[in-house]
Amino acid sequence: MRPPETGSRANLYLALGAIGVALVLALVWVPLDSGSGLIVKVRRQVTIGDALAPTLAAGMIAIGGLLLLFQRGAEGQGGLSRANLAFLLRFLLLCAAGFAIMRWAGPLAVAGANLVSDETLSYRTLRDTAPWKYIGFFLGGTFLIAGMIVQIEGRLSRRAVVIAVLAVAALIALYDLPFDDLLLPPNGDV
Amino acid sequence: MGVGDYIWMGILAVFQGPEAFSLFGIGISITVLMVLAGFLLGIIVGATPGLAGPMAMAISLPILISAFGFSPDALLPVMGFLIGVMKGATVGGAVPAILFNTPGTPDAYMTTLDGYPMTRAGQARKALKLAHVSSASGDTFSDIVLILCAPFLAVLVEAYLDLPEKTALLILSLAFISSVIGGSVGKGLISMGLGLLAVYIGTGEEFYPRLSFGTQALAQGFPVATAVLGVLILGEVFRALEDLWHERRATAAAAEPAQTGDQHLHWADIRRIAPYIARSAVIGTVIGALPGIGSTLAATLGYSSGARRHARKRPQAVQFGEGAPEGIAATEAANSSVSGANLIPVLSLGIPGNAAAVFLILAAESIGGFNPGPGVFKFTAETVNPELVAAFGLFTMMMLANAMNWTIGGAFMRMAGVMVRVPKPILLPAVLLLTLTAIYVQEGRMLAIWFAIGFGVLGYLMRRVGMSPLPFVIAFILGGKLEDTARQAFAATGGDAWFLFTHPIAALFMALAVLFVALSLRKPSEAQR
Repeated sequence: MRPPETGSRANLYLALGAIGVALVLALVWVPLDSGSGLIVKVRRQVTIGDALAPTLAAGMIAIGGLLLLFQRGAEGQGGLSRANLAFLLRFLLLCAAGFAIMRWAGPLAVAGANLVSDETLSYRTLRDTAPWKYIGFFLGGTFLIAGMIVQIEGRLSRRAVVIAVLAVAALIALYDLPFDDLLLPPNGDV
Repeated sequence: MGVGDYIWMGILAVFQGPEAFSLFGIGISITVLMVLAGFLLGIIVGATPGLAGPMAMAISLPILISAFGFSPDALLPVMGFLIGVMKGATVGGAVPAILFNTPGTPDAYMTTLDGYPMTRAGQARKALKLAHVSSASGDTFSDIVLILCAPFLAVLVEAYLDLPEKTALLILSLAFISSVIGGSVGKGLISMGLGLLAVYIGTGEEFYPRLSFGTQALAQGFPVATAVLGVLILGEVFRALEDLWHERRATAAAAEPAQTGDQHLHWADIRRIAPYIARSAVIGTVIGALPGIGSTLAATLGYSSGARRHARKRPQAVQFGEGAPEGIAATEAANSSVSGANLIPVLSLGIPGNAAAVFLILAAESIGGFNPGPGVFKFTAETVNPELVAAFGLFTMMMLANAMNWTIGGAFMRMAGVMVRVPKPILLPAVLLLTLTAIYVQEGRMLAIWFAIGFGVLGYLMRRVGMSPLPFVIAFILGGKLEDTARQAFAATGGDAWFLFTHPIAALFMALAVLFVALSLRKPSEAQR
């Protein structure tokens, strides 16, 4: 495993990155993607335009980057390693899979029910009806929690799944059962 | 309406608000009940390593708003619960620090230095009692200072500061926070700049939502909950998850050494620790009143100041770091006295100084009818200013939480020791889903969850490169206000581009902002969250 980029080198990259981002922001993104410039003149009235505040924010990032160049040798500054980035990637993939299950498990269950029954159900009309409204959250949430416990502990265990099921059930009890106006994921989207 | 009338109305608003139930014919107000519930939850959260008060406040907020709605009656119960959590977590953090050498909250680290040696010496219960008395004393002192100072400061701000000065004050606060938090002022400014940039996406006065790439997804901007919870809570959960990931082991439940000897707290003990509590309470209150400087620094300064005094005055006694009761007192009084004083900039200036204050402001903004800032303290004689009544209601709830702390806090704190046995590999994934669900029920769209994950990744990266996420969050909260005030000041001064430098007080604030940044350049400041 490669050691993290610590101390002055990590800070140098961070400082240069901040200055680069600030330049792109101030010279490209903000001017091209704002409804008005830094200052607006309408009938002799001068007002602040929409571009000014984000340009100043970019200026802050640039000044921070420049100051960091002078302070880059300071101790205890942290750094990023390949292992950090690998963790992040695995973690995001796990989240993406969990959210995909959360989003599609309910509609798929309804589609499956339509295959075996004469009725033509739609998930949209059932999204506030038990048990349909819980399917996505329950399966996706259980996958997410159990997946993380499995990753941390390095092995698949029945305990991890049981804990995940209990945790998701507790969340349903906390957010859904007492409140009629709250929608569990993904029922606000479908 | 005099000052006394407002104070009395604030007290009545708490105790005679909507009734939860009746006990022996006496109606118990829902607000009192919520303060109690928040306080007990806060102790549990504080006593659980890996959880923190702001985390519980963030997760509770959507549930509280769903339960109480957006009516004026909702303000005090919701704020009362959050204040209870804030105060309970401050006390609870000492529990695992003393019993298991594991600080429940970062600011309780110094408590481990003397608390755990006392536990090993068989004096755990006494150490917990010492921590409780010191924490409750510091907290109460800090609240009294808040109640005395915030209204006067707010009146001064309203009397002397006009729009240019208020703009400069916001810039000064952001510059100060960026300078004092984190590994370096450069990183603090980058964090602040990113926060400002994030809040300006999808907003503005023109028909076209700026920086949105013309997409619907960015046109409404980032919801506050996604940015604040993402950077503050998810970023921390990601970091902690990775640490566990690499360790690949479950947190072993620590064994509690056998407890022997006198566990009572005598007057002689209290007299012995009183000077340390007093000194640390002052240090913590001063630190807490400055936005951005956290309770960890207060605890460190309180501890080191107490250690110097102890070595000088009582060289023959058990020294700090070896199980000195004075060490626990110095740390706990200092970190607890930050919580009340932290609300001085919130109530007098509308500027949040720490993560807990951020959630109090978010709650007030979500419910409406109470805008923390100098406008609250307008003592109107003819009509009732409901915001002022709410402010005195807040003060009443803080003192009520202190009363609960003094009476039942100690016993509940000792019971909460069991929370250290909750293993982090189970706790953190559950907290992650809990936070994401809290965001979804507020926003109602999966996109909000992805925004939160994105901000969580940003918060994680910030932590890994030694950049504090707090300037980001505070800039995100204050960014809109800063731009609005600047626009109004610019218009009010007839389009004077130099309005920040042509008004003496504004120019002074700007000079101070530059000075803070310049001074921070001389040496890296201590990492504070």
